[in-house]
Amino acid sequence: MKKLFILLLFGMVALGSCERDDICIDEITPRLIIRFYDYDNQTETKNIKQLSVKIIGTENDSLLFSGTDSIFIPLKTTENSTQYVLTVDSNSITELNRDTITVNYTPDAVFIGRSCGYKSVFNNTTYTPVTDKNMWIQKIQKITEQIENETTAHVKIFH
Amino acid sequence: MKQLLMLKYFINTIFLLSCTVCFSQEMATQEQDTIIKEKYGLRVGVDLYNPVQTFFNEDRKGLELVGDYRVSKKFYVAAELGYLENTTEEDYLNFTTNGSYLKAGFDYNSYTNWLDMQNAIYVGMRYGFSTFSQTLNSFTINNDPFLDGIAISQNGEKFDGLNAHWVEFVLGMKAELFNNLFLGFSFRGKKMISTKDPENFKNLFVPGFNRVFLNNSGFGFNYTLSYLIPLYKKKK
Repeated sequence: MKKLFILLLFGMVALGSCERDDICIDEITPRLIIRFYDYDNQTETKNIKQLSVKIIGTENDSLLFSGTDSIFIPLKTTENSTQYVLTVDSNSITELNRDTITVNYTPDAVFIGRSCGYKSVFNNTTYTPVTDKNMWIQKIQKITEQIENETTAHVKIFH
Repeated sequence: MKQLLMLKYFINTIFLLSCTVCFSQEMATQEQDTIIKEKYGLRVGVDLYNPVQTFFNEDRKGLELVGDYRVSKKFYVAAELGYLENTTEEDYLNFTTNGSYLKAGFDYNSYTNWLDMQNAIYVGMRYGFSTFSQTLNSFTINNDPFLDGIAISQNGEKFDGLNAHWVEFVLGMKAELFNNLFLGFSFRGKKMISTKDPENFKNLFVPGFNRVFLNNSGFGFNYTLSYLIPLYKKKK
């Protein structure tokens, strides 16, 4: 009886433990996509040479980008806004130019599935720059009201 | 006598575990011209898997009662009635499913018994129905890993009045351990027919169905201990 019990128990544990989680392969919370345009010729994109992005309120290092016309940066899902410090020519000491922009939105949790859980989409987005004497950002133009996916850019920055 | 019982028990256990044909010495020495009668009746029992899980696993509490009634030489009407409370932990979610279920159908015994033995290797089908609630205990929004440092777990809500319908295909066996006492095992493949899902969530676990896989299928098994209440006998 004891042997049988152990055998049955072993069988139960073995069968019970083979429930492996799926791997999350679906799209999770979209990042903000900023596309850089030429202020003087507003239909043309213009690459940024060196850019560092610091997300205020996190202890993370800055995100670094170079030689690109579009950047993907994460948004906070736990708050109604995320503030970024965008520094151009971040590798030079003399010509550092920091501009701060605040993105406001209403986050909304959307269920994806077992392995991915919930993602967030961002509704009613607004972009507000903090103005200073020496702005490298000339103009901000919103493209989409909502940030739902990462297929197209959500905002244009002219510089 | 005790040794004989042990032998019978041992043989039936071997039958249960290996599906091999067996008979005991005692049976074989019966007179050949005896008219063998088979028992018909109601068999009631309990699933052993859930109580063991309830004891070892605090995320699962449940009880399942099983029963079958022999209607012909090969066919049994069968049913399971159960209650289950189960907590599922995933990478980004934790939820508790709570509810009861009923499964009804038939079993077909494909095993030809020696003399008046009552072992069974059977196939069957069930229709399953469950009513339950899902409580999303907590979830974390799946954001870019760069912001993992500020991710926080949020409390979810409770979704009541949910239900599910499904079919099960059963493959199982039963062995008579002692007079009229049976130990059984069955494996079940399941397919969901329809479910009432909560809003902005999904029935990832259903009592009686267990984990609902991506293609709406599932599997399960039970170990049962049951007792036959003999009502009448019929010639084999």
